[in-house]
Amino acid sequence: MNDDPAQRHSAFRFHGNWQEFARIAFPNLLLTIVTLGIYRFWATTREREYLWSKTDFIDERLEWTGRGIELFIGFIMVFLLIGLPIIVIQFISQGLIFRGQTAVAGIVTIAMFVLLFYLSGVAYFRALRYRLSRTYWRGIRGGSNNPGFGYGLSYMWKNFVGVLPIFLLVPWSMISLWNERWNSMSFGPHSFESTARWQPLMKRYLLFYLVPFLLFFGAITLAVAAATSGADIGALGGAGMAVGGILVVIAILGLYIILPLAALAYYSKYFRIAVGGLRLHNLEFEFRARAPNWILFFLANMAIVICTLGIGYIFMPYRNWKFFIDHLEAYGEINIDELTQSETVVSKHGEGLLDAFDVGAI
Amino acid sequence: METFFNVWHYDGRSAVRRKVEIQTIGRQFFLLENERRHGPFAFSDVEYVTRKEDVDVYGLTDVDGWRLMLSGPVPDELSELLPVQRKYGGWVDRLGLGKATIAFTLASAAAVAIVLLSPQWLAPLIPDSIDRQLGDALVGDFGGRFCSTPAGDAALKKLVNSLDRNPQDLQVEVAKIDMINAVALPGGKVILFDGLVKQARSPDEVAGVLAHEIGHVREKHVMQALLRQMGLAVVLGGVDGNSGALVNNMLAMSYSRESEAEADAHSMKALGTANISPVGTASFFDRLSELDGSARDGDNGQGIAGYMSSHPLSRARKQAFEKSIVKGRNYKPALTPTEWTELKTMCTQDRKAKSGFGFEFE
Repeated sequence: MNDDPAQRHSAFRFHGNWQEFARIAFPNLLLTIVTLGIYRFWATTREREYLWSKTDFIDERLEWTGRGIELFIGFIMVFLLIGLPIIVIQFISQGLIFRGQTAVAGIVTIAMFVLLFYLSGVAYFRALRYRLSRTYWRGIRGGSNNPGFGYGLSYMWKNFVGVLPIFLLVPWSMISLWNERWNSMSFGPHSFESTARWQPLMKRYLLFYLVPFLLFFGAITLAVAAATSGADIGALGGAGMAVGGILVVIAILGLYIILPLAALAYYSKYFRIAVGGLRLHNLEFEFRARAPNWILFFLANMAIVICTLGIGYIFMPYRNWKFFIDHLEAYGEINIDELTQSETVVSKHGEGLLDAFDVGAI
Repeated sequence: METFFNVWHYDGRSAVRRKVEIQTIGRQFFLLENERRHGPFAFSDVEYVTRKEDVDVYGLTDVDGWRLMLSGPVPDELSELLPVQRKYGGWVDRLGLGKATIAFTLASAAAVAIVLLSPQWLAPLIPDSIDRQLGDALVGDFGGRFCSTPAGDAALKKLVNSLDRNPQDLQVEVAKIDMINAVALPGGKVILFDGLVKQARSPDEVAGVLAHEIGHVREKHVMQALLRQMGLAVVLGGVDGNSGALVNNMLAMSYSRESEAEADAHSMKALGTANISPVGTASFFDRLSELDGSARDGDNGQGIAGYMSSHPLSRARKQAFEKSIVKGRNYKPALTPTEWTELKTMCTQDRKAKSGFGFEFE
C-alpha cells in the first residue's frame, strides 16, 4: 500500500475549528483556576488530544497519547530536583553575602546559572523526544534512545560560541543545534536526518543584526544635520532642533516596530531552512510560511489577546498548531509495510523540565 | 457476532490498516480480517485512548500502538464490554464538571487557609535551637560590620534590658551601615543600622524602634513568615510564574502589615513598661512620613498606599504612637546624655568594624 502525497493537495491538513476548541479551553481555564494551576497539565493534554486528532497526515489522523499525570510527575520532579536546591542555594548565598563572602556567593550563583542553562538544553531535547514518543500515526510512534544529557553540553558550548564573536554566529548555533536534536530522533524504524545549512541564513540575520545600528546612526545623522542646518539659518534654529527631536522620536518608535519585524523575518527564514533540511527515510519536509505570513500571524495573535482583554490567550495553542500544520508540507513516499513500530524507550514523565524553563519544543 | 458498524485495526507492529470485524467470545474477542484471525484479546486489557472526530480509539495494555477504532453505532452488547471514555481526567469525569469545580475550589481554599494560618501555631513549636542555628547560618558575624565599644555596648545593653524581660535570648547589634533601617532575624537577632541611630534625635526614638524589632522576635514573626513563604511556594507552585508571584506577594504583604501592627503594639507596651515616652518614636515616624510621602498625600492616598505596602504608613503609625502617650506621666529618658552619645558614636569610634553594604534589606 503506497501513498503518494505529491498527488494530494497537502500531506498535512488541519480540520479543527475554534468553536470546538473553545469547548475544551474554557472548562480547562476554569479547572486550572480552581485547582490553583495544578489542572494545567491535564488541560494541556486535552488540548493536544484535540489538536492532534484534528490533524490529518495523508489519510489518517494523528493521535496524542500523552497523559496529564506524566506532565504532572515531570513538574514534581523538577520541583524536587531543581526548585528546592535553588531555594537552598539562594539561602546559602544570602548567608554568604551577610558574612561578607561576596566572591564565594557570586561563584555559587554563577555555578547555579550555568547548571540551569545546561538543564534548559537538556529540557529542549527531552521535550521533543517526549512529544514524538506520544505522537502516533497508524499505530506507529516516534522517539529517541538518547537521554539528551550530551545535547545539554552541546547546547552550552554551541550557544557560547555563537554569542562569542559579538553574536555573529547565532545562526550557526541555532541550525547546528536543530540538526543535532533531530538527528537523534526517529519515527517508527526510520531515523530523522537533519542537514540544514546555516550559511543561507546569514543575510537575514545581518539584516536583523544591523537594524538597531542603522536606525540609530541614521537618526543621529539626520538629527544633527537638521539641527545644524536650522542653526545656520539662524531664525529657524529652534525649528531645526524640533525637527531633529522628532526624527529621534521616529527612530525610537522604528526600533520598536522595525526590530521585531526584522526578528520575525529572520525567524521565518530560520524555520523554513531548518524544516527544509529535515528528512525521514523517503520523506522530505517543507515549511511554507514566509515572513509576511508570520507577521500577520503575530499581529492577529496580538489583536485577539488585546481585544478579548487577555482571555484570547487560551486560544494561542490552537492558533500556533493551526499555523504550524497549515504551512507544513511533506513530499516523497511512505512504504506502509516498512513502517514498523519504534523500538525507542518510552519515558514515563513528561516535559517537566521544559515546563519549568518555559520554552517551546520546536 | 456480525457487525454493521465500521471497525479498523492497527496491530502496533506495522502501519498497515486492517478492516476487521469483532468476534466476541465471553470476556474475550477476536478480530477477523478476511482470511486472518487476530487474537484472542481480553476486554479487560482494552483501554480508552482518544476520540478522533466520530471515531473512538481503544488501545491494548502492554501492546504499543495496538489500536481498535470504532465508528458508527456501536452495539450495546459491545459497548458494555468496552472501557468508559475519558474527557477531563479521572476525578473530574467521575464527579462531573460542576461538582468537581466546587470540590477543587473548596480544596484549594482549604490548602491556602492552612498555609496562611498554620504558621501562627507552627512557629512557636519550632525549637529555639533550630531558630538560633538558622540565625547563625544566615548572619554569622555579619561580615565584621558589627560595631563595638565598651561604653556603647553597655548603653545598648541597658536599653535592651529596659525593654525586655528576657534579654539573654536576644542578640542586639549595631551595624556600620548608613541606612535608616533595623531588622529582626531568626534566633532573636536584632540589627540596628548605624544610619538609624545617627539620625535619631533622642534615645527614646531608638528605644521605640528597638522595641518594635524585639516585638517581631517575641511574636515569632520571622519564623512565621519563613514557614508561610515556604507553604505558599508549594501551594502556588502550580500557578504560572507571574500570577503566582503576584498573589504570593499580595498575601505576604498583608500578613507583613499585620505583623508590623503587632510589633508596633508590642513596642508601645514595652515603652510603657520601661516608662519611656513614645513621643520620640512618634516624631521619628513623622520625619519618615515626609520621606515616604504619606504626609503630603492626605487621607485619599492613604487608603491605597496603606493597603498595598508592607509597612503601615508612617503617618498612621505616628498617630498610633501619639495616642499611646499618657498625659501627665513622668517619663524618663531611655538613656543618660553620656550613654546616648556613646551609642551614637559607637560605630565612628570602632575603627575595626567594616562599613558599607552591597546588598539590600527590606
